[in-house]
Amino acid sequence: MKKMTLGAILALGLFSGTALAQSAWTGGDDLPTSPLACDGTPAAAVSVPYDGGAPTNPPDRNGKKITVVDVPKLIGIGYFNATTKGILDAAAELGNVDAKTDGPTKANIDEQITFLDNYITSGVDGILFAANDPVAIAPVLKKALEKGINVVGYDANSTPDARQWFVNQAQFNGIAKALVDQMATEVGGEGGVAIVTSTFTTPNQARWIAEMAAYAAACHPKLKWLETVEAQEDNNLSFNQATTLINKYGDELKGIWGMTSVATPASAEAVTQAKACGKIAVVGLATPNAMKPYVGADCVKSVVLWNPVDLGYAAMHVLRQVADGTLKPGATSVKAGKLGELQVINGSEILLGAPYVFNKDNINDFDF
Amino acid sequence: MSAASPAIGRSNLHRFLSGYGQEIVVLLSIVALFIVVGAVNPRFLSDNNINSIFAGNAYIAIAAIGMSMIIMAGHIDVSVGALIGVIATIAGTLAVAGYPVWIAWTVPILFAIMVNAGVGALVAYTRIPSIVVTLGMLSILKGGLITATAGEWISGMPVEFMIAQMRPFGIPSAVWFMVGLTIVAALFMRYTDFGRAIYAVGGNMEAARAAGINPERTVVGVFALHGFFAGVAGILFATQLQVIQSTVPPNLELTVITASVIGGVSILGGTGTVIGSTLAAILFACIGSALIFLNVSAYWLRAVLGLMILATVLADMARRRRAR
Repeated sequence: MKKMTLGAILALGLFSGTALAQSAWTGGDDLPTSPLACDGTPAAAVSVPYDGGAPTNPPDRNGKKITVVDVPKLIGIGYFNATTKGILDAAAELGNVDAKTDGPTKANIDEQITFLDNYITSGVDGILFAANDPVAIAPVLKKALEKGINVVGYDANSTPDARQWFVNQAQFNGIAKALVDQMATEVGGEGGVAIVTSTFTTPNQARWIAEMAAYAAACHPKLKWLETVEAQEDNNLSFNQATTLINKYGDELKGIWGMTSVATPASAEAVTQAKACGKIAVVGLATPNAMKPYVGADCVKSVVLWNPVDLGYAAMHVLRQVADGTLKPGATSVKAGKLGELQVINGSEILLGAPYVFNKDNINDFDF
Repeated sequence: MSAASPAIGRSNLHRFLSGYGQEIVVLLSIVALFIVVGAVNPRFLSDNNINSIFAGNAYIAIAAIGMSMIIMAGHIDVSVGALIGVIATIAGTLAVAGYPVWIAWTVPILFAIMVNAGVGALVAYTRIPSIVVTLGMLSILKGGLITATAGEWISGMPVEFMIAQMRPFGIPSAVWFMVGLTIVAALFMRYTDFGRAIYAVGGNMEAARAAGINPERTVVGVFALHGFFAGVAGILFATQLQVIQSTVPPNLELTVITASVIGGVSILGGTGTVIGSTLAAILFACIGSALIFLNVSAYWLRAVLGLMILATVLADMARRRRAR
């Protein structure tokens, strides 16, 4: 039996010496990709008919003062504090909105429904929400629509017919383009790059990797993908995996993408401890707080995500225009104050825009 | 684990081999991996990579020392991963709040000893199976951690707090801790009354009682000791990176238990050594690194570990049948 254990390990070592060369990047899914144009020209809008809901007999709110309640997934965390800030900024700018945020202290769908129910009863003109569950939240939102309340979602969607519009913070191809473009800029357009992801089957990460492979093939063909490693959502495992990549490839490795907010800081730590800051770039999806030590130390130049302040700001502008009756089903774009013209996608969604890149100059403005 | 008799020659060697059989298998596996993978890609044997193999899983090895003692005493603890997460968070919070680093290091360890002594007392005196008590503890610690931190990460710890990043004499401090604690624990298990009492209680509780050992007190003691090792592991876990994740690392308790079992600790209690579990933790790090160097999917790590557990347990069963 002991010999068997030993034998199995030896056999593994021998068999695996002949690894297969793969064309697509490991860790991506097999779904069709839709890479954006290299210069960022928006893709021709595919016209999808409006699939959102409509309030029943809303009163004429055009230009009148409205009361709005924002019920995020939970309150008291940095991320939703930031969306609230955006909502209040927009309300102050508009001047005819009385907005406030209220909601559960835990991301709990039952409590969120209770909050929404209470505000519907107390009477508001508009509801903003980020759903804890897309299906479970639908009945209470439909109830709001039946009472003539305007309903707009952001961050986390409901089923489309339970709200009027949804502000979508980022699409897979947009995130992929930002990640690849940043990496290409930092490594000078060519060199070996590797990926640290959660698992090969995590849906969002797999989608992003597939879109990154498609975009890189079209726009940055000299970036040479070396390997994708899994690290689950484990800080120390991510660090070990990234360190092993650095040890394995030596000077061949010019950059590491972190695909989760666990993998990105751990990869940055691995590069820091390997004393390879400046030699190996780390670009990834992460929250600003987790990356501040590395951005502050100049080891990481850019962190890709969206700006939650802008997200709340856009949602408030959309709600005002829905209430005014100026944003109607079938619109192809909407003007959102300082953010300018935002594109309508997928029938009843509004795309926030290109992802936000956090860097040394702006990262300390965020706390989430 | 009988003490070697003063016999000489073949029988002495045979006794040594049967006493440390599993440890030797694990050690040879590590050596074999170094040879095979080093031949395929010499960078595997670079100083940096060897350092990261030994340091990468040091905290798992240290937690596995305590886990081995628990299993040798005939119990199990499935809450150790959550406990390590809680310890890391307490340590990080204290360090960020400006307490001296020695307080940020020792207070969480004392906390871990107290929590586990409580668990041990529940197990010993109420006779609730340890898997049930520690499953409950797992939920309490995980839930408490998420509630207390609200999912926020801790960052901004002072540099002097980062003990796992220090490198006395060029070797990561985590490795020093792993080697030092393993040696101390091995001597403790072999040469102290308490160490031998752990084996006795795990082998046959009533026989141990008849021999004048207080099994309840031994169980409380071994859980408290396990708390100490989990505490040290938690501090190393907390100080490896500049951010502390508020979620418990997935499956950490399973990795720790697996290290103990593959290191030769019998799941039925009564036998095993802490050297084996440390070697097994190093072997995991070695396999994990080797898979990347050989371009093999990380999925294999889980499959290989599963195969190794089965092989080890079967070998243990076979040994017991032969001994009977």
